[in-house]
Amino acid sequence: MNAIEVNELTKIYKGGRSKIEVKALNNFSLSISKGEIFGLLGPNGAGKTTLIKTLLGIVFPTTGSATILGSDISNYKIKNRIGFLPENHRFPNYLTAEETLKYFSQLGGNSTKNIDKRIDELLLLVRMSEWKKMKVSKYSKGMMQRLGLAQAMMNNPELIFLDEPTDGVDPIGRKEIRDILIDLKNNGTTIFLNSHLLSEVELVSDRVAIMNSGKLLKVGRVEDLTTTKEAYIIETANPIDSDFVNAKYMNTPSANTSFKNINVKLESSTKLSVNVKDNLELNFVIDNLRKNGINIKTISIQKNSLEELFVSLITDERGGTK
Amino acid sequence: MKNIYTLSLLTFREALSKKIFLFFFSVSTFVIVVFALLFAFISPESFTDGFVSSTTTSFDNSIANGIKLFIIYPLYAGGLFISIFSVSGFIPSLLEKGNIDLILSKPVSRDQVILGKFFGGIAMVFINIFYAIFFLWLLIGLKFNVWDASFLLSAFTITLAFASLYSVIILLGIITRSSMLPMVISYLTFFIFSPILSSRDTIFAFVDNKIVSGIFSLLYYLVPQTSDLSSINTDLAVGNYISSALPLFTSTAYIILIIGLSIFIFRKKDY
Repeated sequence: MNAIEVNELTKIYKGGRSKIEVKALNNFSLSISKGEIFGLLGPNGAGKTTLIKTLLGIVFPTTGSATILGSDISNYKIKNRIGFLPENHRFPNYLTAEETLKYFSQLGGNSTKNIDKRIDELLLLVRMSEWKKMKVSKYSKGMMQRLGLAQAMMNNPELIFLDEPTDGVDPIGRKEIRDILIDLKNNGTTIFLNSHLLSEVELVSDRVAIMNSGKLLKVGRVEDLTTTKEAYIIETANPIDSDFVNAKYMNTPSANTSFKNINVKLESSTKLSVNVKDNLELNFVIDNLRKNGINIKTISIQKNSLEELFVSLITDERGGTK
Repeated sequence: MKNIYTLSLLTFREALSKKIFLFFFSVSTFVIVVFALLFAFISPESFTDGFVSSTTTSFDNSIANGIKLFIIYPLYAGGLFISIFSVSGFIPSLLEKGNIDLILSKPVSRDQVILGKFFGGIAMVFINIFYAIFFLWLLIGLKFNVWDASFLLSAFTITLAFASLYSVIILLGIITRSSMLPMVISYLTFFIFSPILSSRDTIFAFVDNKIVSGIFSLLYYLVPQTSDLSSINTDLAVGNYISSALPLFTSTAYIILIIGLSIFIFRKKDY
C-alpha cells in the first residue's frame, strides 16, 4: 500500500462573476511510497498547494480520486495519522507555543495523557524550549516555522505534508530542519515536501516530481533525473586546443560515418563534455584523444543540477524561451 | 464532542484575548455595582415616591418588579448590542488563510468547526448575561426579599435571542468572509426589522393587501424574532404568565435551520 495514491485528479477553480476557470490540477496522477521523502517542485501557480490541500480535504477535487494511507481523502478521521505545515500558517496569536501545541494536539485527536512531555520533546527538537511561554504574536518568521514543524509532528504522524518548511529560516535552521526530516524518514515517516528551494529538495528527497500548470512533467529519483544519458565529462592532464576539437570531432566527426552522433564541446582547456549515442562512440572519442597524445585523467558521467532540469522542463513547457 | 469542546474553548480564548469578554464583564460588573450602591443607600419607599401599599409583601413585590422591568429591557438591548459586536469577527478570523488550513488538516469535521464556533460564542455571552442577571437577582432578593427564580430564566431568553442573531452572523460570515456586513445586518434586524415584523398585525390593520400580508408573514419567519423574545423576556422577568411560548420554539427551529444551512455551505467551500 502506498502512502499517497492520486488518480487523475482535476481541480477547476471557477471565478465568481468573472466566469474565468482556472485548471489548478489537470488529470494529475502520482504514487508515493511509505517511508520516502518526496519533493514536489513547480513554479508559482503550478498547483502544488492545491494538490496538498486537495489531499487534506481543504479543497475539493472536481474529478478524480485519491487515497492517503489507504483511506479515501474524504475520510477526515484519517487525518489523525497526518501532520501538516501550511505555507504562511497563522497560529492564534494569543496562545503561547505550549498552548498552540496543546490545542492542535487536542484537535488532532491526541489524549491529554503525556501531552506535556511530548510538547517539551518537540520544542527541544526545534530549539524553541526557551520561548515555550511566549505568545506567538511575538515570534519571528523563523520561529513560527519551527513551531509549525513541531505542530505537524505533534501526533507522531505517519505522513507529513510540509509546504515551504524552511521559508524564513536561516541557513543553520534549514540544516537543522533537514536533519529532522531525515530522522523522521529513518523512523518510517513519509514526508511530502513542497518547496521553492530546489537545492534543498535535492538534498533530502528520495524522489521528486516537477509540475506546471496542474500537470505532472517529470517524476523520479533525484539521481535518475539529474543524470544525463550518455553524456560524459573528460578531464585531461594536458591542455587541448579548441581547433583540435573542432577539426577532429565537430566538423569532421570521423572517417566512420556511423559515429556522426558524437558531440564534443570544450568546457575548459582541460575539460571536454562529450555526448554520444553509446559506449562505442565514447571509446572512439577516447581512442582519438589518446592517439593525439592527450593524457586522460578522469571520465565521469555528466550530471545536471535539479535546478537545471527544472528550468529546462518549465521553459520547454512554456514554449521554449528561456 | 471533544472537538466541538476544544473549538468552543478556543473561541472563548479568542474573546478573552481580544478583551471582548473583559469589556462585557466590566459592563456587567458596572451595572451590578450601580444597583448595589443604589440599594444600599436608597430606601424602598423612595422608589415609589411615597406610595404605600396595603401589605409589605405586595409593596416589596411591586417595587422589585418595577426595578426588574427597569433593568431587563436595557440589559436585553445592551447585552445583545455588545454580544453582536463581540462575535462578528469570529468567523472571518476562523476563515483566514493559514488558520483554516490548519484546522481543516486535523481530524475535525467541518460540522464540528461551525458548531464549536457557535457554542463558544454562546458560552461567552451566556456567562456574561447570567453573571449580570444572577447578581441583580441576588441584590433584589436581598433588598426586597423577593426570590422569584423566573427572573433568572431571562438569561436563557437573552441567550436564545443572541443565538438566533449569531446563527445569521455565522451564515453571512461564511458566505462573505466579512465581519462588518453580518454585524450591520444583525443590528438592522435587531433594532428595525424584527420590531416592525413583530407588530405586523398592526400593519395589516392599515394595509388590506394579501400580497403585502404574505410578504410580511414570510419575512417574519425569515428574520430572527428578537422582539417577540424580548416580550417573553419581560414577562419572565416579572414573573408574568407567558401568553405565547411559540417564539421560543420557532427561534430554536430557526437557529437549527440557519446553523444547518451554514454547515451545508461550509461543507462545500474550498479554502
